[in-house]
Order: sequence, then C-alpha cells, then structure tokens
Amino acid sequence: MNSISRQPSPRPAPVLGQTLVMLAFALILGGAVAIPFFYETQTLWYKAGMAKTLLRTGQMAGLLALVLLLTQILLALRPRFGERLFGPAVLVRWHKRNGLLIAGAAVMHVLLVVVPEGINNWPIGVKHWPEMIGGSLLLLLLVTVLLSHYRVALGLSYPGWRRWHRPLGYLALSLAPVHVYFVSETFQHPLPFAALLLVLAALLPAIIKKYTAL
Amino acid sequence: MKRAVFALMIILSLILTAENSSAAARQWEFDPAHSNVYFTIDHIFSKIRGRFATIEGTVHFDAKNLAESRFAFTIKVNSIDTGVSKRDRHLLSPDFFDSGKYPLITFDSTAITDQGQGRYAVAGKLTIKGRAHDMVLPLILAGIKDHPAVPGKQVIGFNGTLTLDRLAYGIGDGKYYTMGMVGKDADILVTFEALSPASK
Repeated sequence: MNSISRQPSPRPAPVLGQTLVMLAFALILGGAVAIPFFYETQTLWYKAGMAKTLLRTGQMAGLLALVLLLTQILLALRPRFGERLFGPAVLVRWHKRNGLLIAGAAVMHVLLVVVPEGINNWPIGVKHWPEMIGGSLLLLLLVTVLLSHYRVALGLSYPGWRRWHRPLGYLALSLAPVHVYFVSETFQHPLPFAALLLVLAALLPAIIKKYTAL
Repeated sequence: MKRAVFALMIILSLILTAENSSAAARQWEFDPAHSNVYFTIDHIFSKIRGRFATIEGTVHFDAKNLAESRFAFTIKVNSIDTGVSKRDRHLLSPDFFDSGKYPLITFDSTAITDQGQGRYAVAGKLTIKGRAHDMVLPLILAGIKDHPAVPGKQVIGFNGTLTLDRLAYGIGDGKYYTMGMVGKDADILVTFEALSPASK
C-alpha cells in the first residue's frame, strides 16, 4: 500500500480578501469624492464655469486627502487582517507612498479652493478659524511627510524621528475632522456626518488597542 | 529800504497767520470704535446686513466755515462683516470688492453745502476699486458735546443714509443680479463720531 504522506497544503493566496479590501477602499474613496456633487456647499452656488469646476475639484481633493489620511492611520496600525492579507512589508511600503499622496492631495485642495476666491484672498483671521485649522493641518502634513521622506538626508535617527512621527500623525488625525466639519456645511448633513463618525469610531478603538497592547 | 522790507515781511506774516487762523476749520479725529459703514442688500427675497468695521479718517468741520471744512475717511475693505465668514470672503473676492487688489475705499470731500436743520450735502470723490467717482454724501449733524467719558474732549457725531447702485461702482459685474440672487442697490448708513480737544 502506498502510503500517501500528508503534505501541508500551501496557504491559498488571499486573493478574495485582498479584492474585498480593495473594493471596500474604492467604494469609500468613491463615496467621499462624490460628496461635493450630492452635498453642494453654498460656496458652489455662487460659482460658475471654471471657478465652479476648480472649487469642486478642490473639495474632492480635500476629501481624497481625508480618506487617505484615515487609511494612513490604518496602515500605521498594521491590523492583523491587513498583515495577513498583504504582508507587513506591503503595508509599510503603502504607508510611505500614501504619505506622499496625502501631501499632494492636500496641496491640490488648498490651491484649488483658494484660486476661485482670488489668489490674494486667503482666509486668514479668527473668523476663518476652520480654514486656519486646515492651513495648520497642511503645514503639519508637509512637515511630517518631508521629515519622513528625507529622514536619512537630514541625519535624523530612526528612534528620534519616530518619536515625533507618531504624535504628528495623530495630531493630523485629530485636526482633520475638526477642519472638515466646520469648514463647510457638507458634514453637517446627517449622512456625511454619520460616515465620518463611523470611520472615526472604528479607528479609535484600534488605536487604543494598539497602544494599550504595547 | 531795510525798514520797508522788514515792514513788508511783518505784513506778509500777519496776513499768512490771519489766513491760517481763518482757514483752519476745527479738526476732529475719528473714533474708530464708534464709526461704521453699514449696508443692507437684497438676497433673492431676504435682506442681508453687513458693515465695514474699520473706518479711519479726519474731519475738519466748522458749521460757520464750510468752505474750509473737509471730510476724509478710509474704509478697510477686509473689515467687511456680514456674520458669515464664507460670505465675507466671497465679498472680498474679485466677484465683488477684490480686496487683494483694492484694499481701501476712500472718500475725500470737495464741497460741503448747508441744507439747513443740521443737514449737509457733502460732495466728494469716492474711490472704490481704484476708480474715483463723484458722489454726494448726505450727512446729518447729530450734535457736538463734551465727551461724557473722555475729559477734555468734545465729540461730534454725523449720520447719513444713501442708496448706491453697486454695479455703477464696479462691485460685481452683474451676474448675480441677473441671476436674481444679489440686488444691485445697497442701502448705506454712514455713522461716526469724532473727537477733538475741548479747548479749541
């Protein structure tokens, strides 16, 4: 009798899981960038032609930056399901690339929403505090991304850089919802507000779990 | 000869001094905290109210010497406040005031006419968005009195209302008016106090 030795079967590639995650991401991203079409801000009422296109595109870029920022936190947390599906190296690589994308989208957002209101007409002052928070957030993102990208060139040690990287990242995560909620009436509509709240509510326990487990 | 030149100089200096004293209408400095330009304009069906909070200037005013009286003031365009920051920013954009390019609105009077009962027609140049326009600002002298809170100072007050066609002054190109969103006639209330040393 031939005895068939039982070989451990190779672990199936988690293609289905990967596909589902990517689909979910695409869905969230698509939903977010569609918001300026379904929940027009009053500023869009007063714009026409190219100015309207620029402003709407700017709002879409801002929402893209927001989704990427939330994703960035998820990538930084490296949840177990993510590591199983994609592997830690892929998550780290995406985290690095995603940082550049966030900065790019945030810069585009600022430029595109400023141009239709006049390049000399920056929202500076106490009464424009939601925009000022947005400006601070942009600065924070740029500093975080540039420090990370040029860490070695700047001669920063990994532990030293990391000591600042995490708090800066979480500060950005804290400022972003404040900016998006107060900067326009869009997120005061129930559905976008609920979606934002849901995502934050899902992220918060994961963050707490991560750091209480350390 | 020397005496003649000296006498001439004395006479000239006396004439100049006399002219100066007759020329100088009393000078008043704006009280910025109590000086505003308010406006009301239609938005579809409702009325939107706003103001320019920063107005600075000098008043030379003497009811008996209107020829030498003068009103000059400057409004900082970016002090506009309608209570909605986004609307303020839109008003500052090139769609309306273009404050980045034209940060100030100025008014310089050229002639003041007494219309009786404390009413004055103040003709002057209103420079807005870089263009000077002739206009008449109707002001009512509210009064002159010792300032109740500032010893040694007197306060003068003026109020004036008028209606301006914003399109005639280049505030907007008319697209929002054509759309039926923003009216073209703005009701303006100019109200200010100015202070001067009581000894004068």
